[in-house]
Amino acid sequence: MVELLAPAGNLPMVEGAVAGGANAIYVGPRGWSRRRDQYEMSDDEVHAAIEIAHGGGARLRVAINTNMQSHEIAPMLRKMERFVSWGADGAIMTDVGAIAQVHRLFPHLTIHASIGANILNDEDVRFYRSIGVSQVVADTKLTLKELASRREQIDVGIEVLIHANKCYTYLGKCWMSPYHRLERTTDAFGKDLFKGSPNRGGLDYRVCLESWELYSGDEMWEKSVALKNDAFFLLADIPHLIDLGVQCLKVQGREYSVPLVERMVRFYRDLIDSYLAFPKGEPFNLSPWQLRLAAIQAERDTSRSDGTRLLLAEARQPVGAFRAD
Amino acid sequence: MSQFELNTTIANLRDLRASDLSDYDGVYLGDIYCRIYEANFLEQLDDLKEGIRILRDQGKRAYVTTYAGPRNDFLPKVRKMLEASAAAGAQAVEVHNLGILKIAHDEFPQLPVHIGGFANVYTAPGVEVLREFGAVRFTPNYELSLDEINEITTACGAPMELLVHGKMPLGISDYCFLLDYEEKWGVKCPDLCQKELFLKQGDWAMKSVGKGILSGKDVCMLEHLPRLLAEGHRYFRIETVSETPGYRSEVAAVYRAALDRVAAGDGEVNEGWWETVRRHARIGLCNGFYFGRSGMDYAGVRPDAIGSLLTISRAES
Repeated sequence: MVELLAPAGNLPMVEGAVAGGANAIYVGPRGWSRRRDQYEMSDDEVHAAIEIAHGGGARLRVAINTNMQSHEIAPMLRKMERFVSWGADGAIMTDVGAIAQVHRLFPHLTIHASIGANILNDEDVRFYRSIGVSQVVADTKLTLKELASRREQIDVGIEVLIHANKCYTYLGKCWMSPYHRLERTTDAFGKDLFKGSPNRGGLDYRVCLESWELYSGDEMWEKSVALKNDAFFLLADIPHLIDLGVQCLKVQGREYSVPLVERMVRFYRDLIDSYLAFPKGEPFNLSPWQLRLAAIQAERDTSRSDGTRLLLAEARQPVGAFRAD
Repeated sequence: MSQFELNTTIANLRDLRASDLSDYDGVYLGDIYCRIYEANFLEQLDDLKEGIRILRDQGKRAYVTTYAGPRNDFLPKVRKMLEASAAAGAQAVEVHNLGILKIAHDEFPQLPVHIGGFANVYTAPGVEVLREFGAVRFTPNYELSLDEINEITTACGAPMELLVHGKMPLGISDYCFLLDYEEKWGVKCPDLCQKELFLKQGDWAMKSVGKGILSGKDVCMLEHLPRLLAEGHRYFRIETVSETPGYRSEVAAVYRAALDRVAAGDGEVNEGWWETVRRHARIGLCNGFYFGRSGMDYAGVRPDAIGSLLTISRAES
């Protein structure tokens, strides 16, 4: 049975995602995941999230998927030990050294290679399998044909993002944002924070979405060039992904409101259940689903464009000068 | 062998033949971004063999790089390229993708592997994992500061290769947005990315090579070479894959002279060297992330030196 994996940036969102029908929830400990800290949780909140998820019959995964520093591996392992003792069902990770050490210490813990690992081909999957990863997140640029090849050739769980951003660059292989603005601070627990670097756990300023002028030498050739970075919802592909045997359909969006995330999750729960209950071989009508999704998408687009505007404005602030409201 | 290695990247045979490599110790052959980059060594295997021969005849170390974003359909060609590289006597292959690392380790164990900047080396335990797959040299992720790089070398003694000058890679895509403008500009692929193209907005700038996005400013560690040598670094890269042969040779001459002088105990930077690096930097100079700041920042005793002579001369005229 395909798993619906939902995001949670706070405890009410955990409750909303469970109520919406998620089979699993992922959360990020503060400073250790690919989102800004306001969408992450303290360790106590992670503990509470595990209990809420389990109480609602869902699994809870912990995203410790920053590219951490060498000296942070030891505190990460201590943190992971707590999460495992509280019943976390899996860890989402990126750094190959951190993955290998977690697998060595917790051999039964399911480790998911994060989107930040940028797994692009079947040999990538074999590499990550060999160091202890059992599920991989497919890059958003991969085609169904490439996913099918993976499914046929390799014994690995595949996770596909069904609501996420498709960046111009490969995710995990881009540092355009910190090139323009990086602000390093240390939180109350001694964790380095890298505001501006999504790979290192800080926010992404989305500088790719700036309206760029294109110059050849001194001559302006284009007044406005966009490096595409589109948020998407998958719909028509969902039946194909289920038929393909994809293990997990993942919704991203810890930064959105609790009601919006709950609506996204409920939408995909209903869609998946309807498709699974539908007679095989019969044409599945997507029209009513398209209408329902359009309303969710409009709300998401408004929220995202507001967020992009604020991020680009923040990216222009001198380091140390910006204070979030 | 000298106390350090200075190397660079060249994408095709034409550029290799046009370049004066006398100040380099080694060259990585190939363009990591795009399969249809003009006459890319990674696709033209006869050219690749010839390139390796030319380098070896000149007494240079011949390295071959590999694609940074290889999908399944790249892999058959990658295997052929690795086979050709090994047969032609390449001294190492650079990998940015861990799937290619696994192929190199499993199928071409005689080829030493250098880990490239897109392979996301951030930690010492990460280096240890990659060593188990045959890696012998490591370019840390460009986001790391010198302090963080030293933390890795202290923990595991791994030799690091550092970008000391040139455009720093910022991202790679599977899509070339320049193709959208072929008709409008009247310039076709593969000539599109041969133009010197910059994305600009205010004081922000990035260089575009189609599927690759590079820093607009040139990373410049000229005045910080004493620190790099003192901290034990020996492998230095001048990134010139998207630059002219003139840039390639003149900047190398500066760094060769500067490194020789530092190795002899004198870290002073010659004014002529500043003039050369500024003349070749269209946007200006930066330090990347080496000092824990935004990548486009410059930290040094010569902040007045970081502007581009191109910009200054335009303003004056």
